[in-house]
Amino acid sequence: MASPCEVLSRAGRTVAREQLRAVAEEAWRIEEKFSRYRTGNVVDRINTAQGTPVDVDPETADLLDFAAELHRLSDGRFDITSGVLREVWTFDGSDRLPTAREVGRVLGRVGWDKATWVRPRLTLAPGMQIDLGGIGKEYAVDRAALLAAALDSAPCLINFGGDLMAVGETNHVPWQVGIEAVGPNGGNPARHIALARGALATSGDARRFLLRDGVRYSHILDPRSGWPVTGAPRSVTVAADTCTQAGMLSTLAMLMGGEAEAFLARQGVRYWCMR
Amino acid sequence: MGATDGGREPGSGQFVQRLAAATCSLLGIGSTVPVLAQEEPTWALDTSFLYYGESDERVQDLSLNVLARRLFADDKVLSFGLVYDSLTGASPSGAIPLNEVQTFTRPSGNDVYTVQPGELPLDDTFLDTRYALTATWQQPLGRLYTGSVGLSFSTEYDYTHAGLNFGITRDFNTRNTPLSLGAAIARDEIDPEGGAPLPLAPMGNIGDLSARRPGTEDKDVVDLLIGVTQVVNEHLLVQVNYSLSDSSGYLNDPYKILTVVDPATGEGIARVPAPGTAGPLHEYRFESRPDQRTKHSLFVQGKYYMGGKVLDVSWRYMTDDWEIDSHTLEAKLRWPLGDRGWVEPHLRFYTQTEAEFYRPSLPVGELPEFASADYRLAPFDAWTAGLKYGFRTASGNEAGIRLEYYRQDGSVPDGLLIGNQDGDALSPELDAVILTVSYGFDL
Repeated sequence: MASPCEVLSRAGRTVAREQLRAVAEEAWRIEEKFSRYRTGNVVDRINTAQGTPVDVDPETADLLDFAAELHRLSDGRFDITSGVLREVWTFDGSDRLPTAREVGRVLGRVGWDKATWVRPRLTLAPGMQIDLGGIGKEYAVDRAALLAAALDSAPCLINFGGDLMAVGETNHVPWQVGIEAVGPNGGNPARHIALARGALATSGDARRFLLRDGVRYSHILDPRSGWPVTGAPRSVTVAADTCTQAGMLSTLAMLMGGEAEAFLARQGVRYWCMR
Repeated sequence: MGATDGGREPGSGQFVQRLAAATCSLLGIGSTVPVLAQEEPTWALDTSFLYYGESDERVQDLSLNVLARRLFADDKVLSFGLVYDSLTGASPSGAIPLNEVQTFTRPSGNDVYTVQPGELPLDDTFLDTRYALTATWQQPLGRLYTGSVGLSFSTEYDYTHAGLNFGITRDFNTRNTPLSLGAAIARDEIDPEGGAPLPLAPMGNIGDLSARRPGTEDKDVVDLLIGVTQVVNEHLLVQVNYSLSDSSGYLNDPYKILTVVDPATGEGIARVPAPGTAGPLHEYRFESRPDQRTKHSLFVQGKYYMGGKVLDVSWRYMTDDWEIDSHTLEAKLRWPLGDRGWVEPHLRFYTQTEAEFYRPSLPVGELPEFASADYRLAPFDAWTAGLKYGFRTASGNEAGIRLEYYRQDGSVPDGLLIGNQDGDALSPELDAVILTVSYGFDL
């Protein structure tokens, strides 16, 4: 995850410490279990299975069910098997683009439709990999928030590197959240949001891109083509009931490129797009 | 992407519901609690304080500028501007230095002032306090358009301005090419001290306001602008604007005069005030400008971003039907300094040709329809060199200090010199220092 995480709690000191402990342990548990950088965890077993079926535990199965549903709902734009595209795409600000052939070769190993998922058994084609980075963090925020809320009903804010969830009583002074300006000075003023309950998640540019012949390739890749999405905003922040929902909406908005604002407007959610 | 997929694009109303259901399933909860998130309108304030001082006891200006912007949800912005200017000092009246003592009647007609031989005559009448207010409302109109409407108002003791402006911007090319259209109309009212002088009327003795028009004068201005900005690539942004400005009504400066001179020597013509009063010792006439002026401007600007530094280069060309042509070339380089600071050296060059009716003095017996000796209508070059230092404070507010040096060099075309007149004496240089201190913060 590699982001600073914090818990802001209005409960009494002892309870707040317990909440912090519960949140931290849950965050580390989820990271160890689902990170693709760890050996021996369920994701590693799936990614090294080389075509053989892998049976997964109920929590992993829930995440795979969610990923499958989102793959359907997003017409294939959201795809946890798209991670292998990083083998040919390195977004370091240079002008090194992969060739169409290189992308085509990797694309053969991308696509949730090439996997067979029948709970609890997942079978990937050889060479395929899954990456839960696109849902892991927001899922961890929601899980941690549920644990914190179970310990006390006082307002509590979980913040994992800018993805937030506020739980507890709603009748209180809201949490003040700032969305930073993005881009050349003066282009986008900072926004202030009063969050009393619910989640905010942000998908962003993080200055990762490639530049060639005057065309800027953002790091958001469309898994259906293997190429970057064009016209994506620099950053999208969405407010939703849970961090998982907010994260998915902001990710999908980025994947919609130039249509990001139109997409979010149609969903009727509160959003802030910076270009 | 999208509409060709027949109803299942992630844009149908079903999407949010199905996402919610999938999330509840994942988290093992029955339902979610509705989010309560509201954008707070914020005020962003920019304030600056400016000191402008010309050499040789000419004009000094102290100016306070406040701009307040309130950002509402849905990208609506309300802004207010307030400018307070306090001007002191004196400005050339248009009369030329002579080898003799000169006496002038003040525009009010109540008093006289005297200028020594060889001195450039300066008039301090216009010095004053000025207040200006602006209010603008800006909001998106649909997905690709942004519109704005604004009011402007300013007042000083002899001048009032009221204006209305509109603007609309449309984004093209996935927001890489905004196109803007703007229009502004204004009505200004001038109430010169003593009344507006009749065109080319002679300057009279104290108490003589016979050659003045009673009441106030009006000026109407219409401005139109069209501009396009193009994001060329990650580093470069280019903007081109064309604007048209049309003024009609009273365009004279009611306090500016011309010295009447001998056509052979170029010296002043002596005059004797009426017995028992004081008045000018030479002949002068009030200026006269056309009652219409149309200006065309073309502005081209490029901003180049290179790893934290920003180079801003621009050129403006202006031409009008008074035959003034001008060019402004400006370059600024913003250079980051440390974590939160930056320096910005800047250089500007301005050059203009004279108005068709500009003349430093008027030969006796000649009464053209239009004539003005105002140095601002004369040919001149001006340089500005400056350095700004800015930084972001720990709380994210921006502060800056800028020092600039301005130098203006006029020249009088030989053909407009009469007799023994010396071009250098008639258009002395102007030096000024400008110090600006600025601070921006959020409320």
